[in-house]
Amino acid sequence: MIRSRRFRPLILLLMVLASSALFAQYQRKPPDFGGSYSFPSPEHPEPRSEWVRLLDVGMLVAGLALGTWLILKRRSRGGVMLLSIGALAYFGFYRKGCICPIGAIQNVTLSLTDPSYIVSLSIVVFFFLPLATALLFGRIFCGGVCPIGAIQDLVLLRPRKVPEKLDRALRWLPYLYLGLAVLFAGWGLGFKIGAWEVQAARRFLICEYDPFIGLFRISGAFHMLAIGAGFILAGMFFGRPYCRWLCPYGALLSILSRFSWKNVQVTPDKELDCGLCADACPYGAIHNYRADRASCLACARCYEYCPREQVLRGAGDEFVQVKLP
Amino acid sequence: MSDKSSRRQFIDRSFRIIGFLGIGGAAGVLTKRASSSAVYQIDPFKCTSCDLCRTSCVLSLSAVKAVNDFEKCGYCMLCPAYMDVNSRPDEKGIPTGKVCPQDALKRRVVGRVDLEDPNNNYYEYAIDETRCDGCGKCVKACLPPAGNGSLRLEIRYTRCVECNECAIRVVCPDDAIVRVPVPGMAPTADSSEREKA
Repeated sequence: MIRSRRFRPLILLLMVLASSALFAQYQRKPPDFGGSYSFPSPEHPEPRSEWVRLLDVGMLVAGLALGTWLILKRRSRGGVMLLSIGALAYFGFYRKGCICPIGAIQNVTLSLTDPSYIVSLSIVVFFFLPLATALLFGRIFCGGVCPIGAIQDLVLLRPRKVPEKLDRALRWLPYLYLGLAVLFAGWGLGFKIGAWEVQAARRFLICEYDPFIGLFRISGAFHMLAIGAGFILAGMFFGRPYCRWLCPYGALLSILSRFSWKNVQVTPDKELDCGLCADACPYGAIHNYRADRASCLACARCYEYCPREQVLRGAGDEFVQVKLP
Repeated sequence: MSDKSSRRQFIDRSFRIIGFLGIGGAAGVLTKRASSSAVYQIDPFKCTSCDLCRTSCVLSLSAVKAVNDFEKCGYCMLCPAYMDVNSRPDEKGIPTGKVCPQDALKRRVVGRVDLEDPNNNYYEYAIDETRCDGCGKCVKACLPPAGNGSLRLEIRYTRCVECNECAIRVVCPDDAIVRVPVPGMAPTADSSEREKA
């Protein structure tokens, strides 16, 4: 194994510290205090046990499974909302948004380019599991499990449409951001053009410029909190601006979900052609009464507004209350 | 129509299989390299107690705490990490100010107590972890030659939430936050090598 010597284990550090000759000239022998005094030993609490540390992985698996069931089988908007509130509470506020697949892009990149970097197993699971789920069932992770998606979904009060051309153009941004993040996480930046020299160390751009992390921690640099507030404000009118036009993990998921096995289907057998679902979709993901697999964020709003869906679920044979988006 | 849709299905299925193979392969490679038992810790030889541990941890009260190594502590009456030597002295010449802004460094007199001359007494210094915010002012003040260097900053695992990337590690100017194997867990090939050496 080529794990670097930089990563000395804790025990070694402590042993070296305790018996170090480095400070010997300053160290005097512990004095005799008289009385009955015994030296306490400094406490070094052990890391939490394995199962507690794997709880995050458990929650992710449970969230994805529940999300798949709620979105594809139950087709329940209320259920998805509850799930996303739960995800926001656990992954967002309890875990401070700091164990997440979006940031894991960088850990994975770094561990591929720098073999001495130890990546933890839960990060590997966090990175790959939602990707595999996207291949099977579409962007379930975005819909119900991602705390960043959840916080934006829950503040979406007055959805407005974005002109389709602008939307299409902005959808390229995540790929750009993904490229930049991978470049900075894996290699940093260093080039020279004439007299113009650029040097930048490796850094984790996605985590550094995550607009919502400050909200989860209720602390942070002022400009990041302001950007977060700006995203929340914009998110009240335009569906999930971060997820659609910036999220680099969303870019990966959207590539994979193009080939998903199952996905959100607006009334699978026949549709009414009323277009309420397309009006209800705040993400502009429904074209020709069909959910576009790449951009569908699996929020289940289309089901909520579909009259046929209500008939199918036995809401009533004679009257169907049509909700207008 | 059905021709077109079956072609579409074929493409979908092939890409799905390719995707699964790719994800599986990459996950397999990384799982081999990954460790489920690595945690963050501060390398005391690199740490310069710069105060970023206090401000950068994702927790509102940092998981980094000062820890006193009692074996090295001098148990001094005039502890430079306890009292601010630059503050105004009282009538006995003892500084009145304290170094710790949180008043987290506590002391108690130990051993045989000389009631007349407090300079003759020994004091045990301990950190109140509910107050300590990991600013490292005491660690700095305890450095030789003023002190024995018995205080240092440590990530307390009872508090650390184990982010996938330690927020302090990202900003640490000394690269002092390192990933270490969990003590007592399965040793890595690297650590067994070291034991031989």
